[in-house]
Amino acid sequence: MNFIRYRTPVPAFNPGSLLDELDRLFEAGFPAFNRAPVAGAFPIDVYQDKDSVTIRAEVPGFRKEDIIVSVADDALTITGRATTNAGKDTPKNETTFERAIALPEDLNYDKITAAYENGVLTVTLPKREEVKPKTVAVEVK
Amino acid sequence: MTQSTDTTPTVEKPVTPAPRGAVTPRYRVEENADAYIVTAQVPGASAGDVETIVDGEKLVVNARRNWTAPESWTPVHREIARTDHRLVLQLDRRVNRDGIRAQLTQGVLTLTLPKAEELKPRKIEIAG
Repeated sequence: MNFIRYRTPVPAFNPGSLLDELDRLFEAGFPAFNRAPVAGAFPIDVYQDKDSVTIRAEVPGFRKEDIIVSVADDALTITGRATTNAGKDTPKNETTFERAIALPEDLNYDKITAAYENGVLTVTLPKREEVKPKTVAVEVK
Repeated sequence: MTQSTDTTPTVEKPVTPAPRGAVTPRYRVEENADAYIVTAQVPGASAGDVETIVDGEKLVVNARRNWTAPESWTPVHREIARTDHRLVLQLDRRVNRDGIRAQLTQGVLTLTLPKAEELKPRKIEIAG
């Protein structure tokens, strides 16, 4: 499991003037502010219940086709591809960031579903049928 | 299909910030010839959860993160903050307040702040 912490922005009341914001933008420089190509650049939550495991990832600002969810070797990988178009002064920039999450073995990989809404990716991984606790009625003759 | 909604500022249905504290979202300000563009990341907020207000000299954006896990879910690992977002920007005479537009797409709020007319470069004709 990746334990890379996501730094939440500083909780400060921040009424800077627009000129200050522009200065800050130029100091920080490009690449785009949220597209740092560092693994674990976005936060995730993992939940489970008796039927499935759910992973929520906050990856705002993508199109559905630019988010790739793949599973291999008991690990789920979420990849986001961002392409900023060439502006007047900036070159075309493509950055990828991805995160791999280790998964337990008892999941049904064929039935994974993912939805992307309001910038949050929700991946649902159902558990394998035979792993769910089942009550078996045994007839006693 | 990208969801894109126009959330032009209104104060009809104020979204009061939940008492979970509010942090400044990640944002940046860019400029083109006609306007300043403010892009703020407010994941988890749909159109009804975002409120943009022009209050005197301040531009205030409140965005709520109001998703909670269903009762039956057990958290295994949690990184997503449960705080709401609040962005306050100071406006000055360079911005034409009447033309401010807001657009929300997949958790990214884009505010277009048009530049005041008198500040745009214009040629001055020489009389006589």
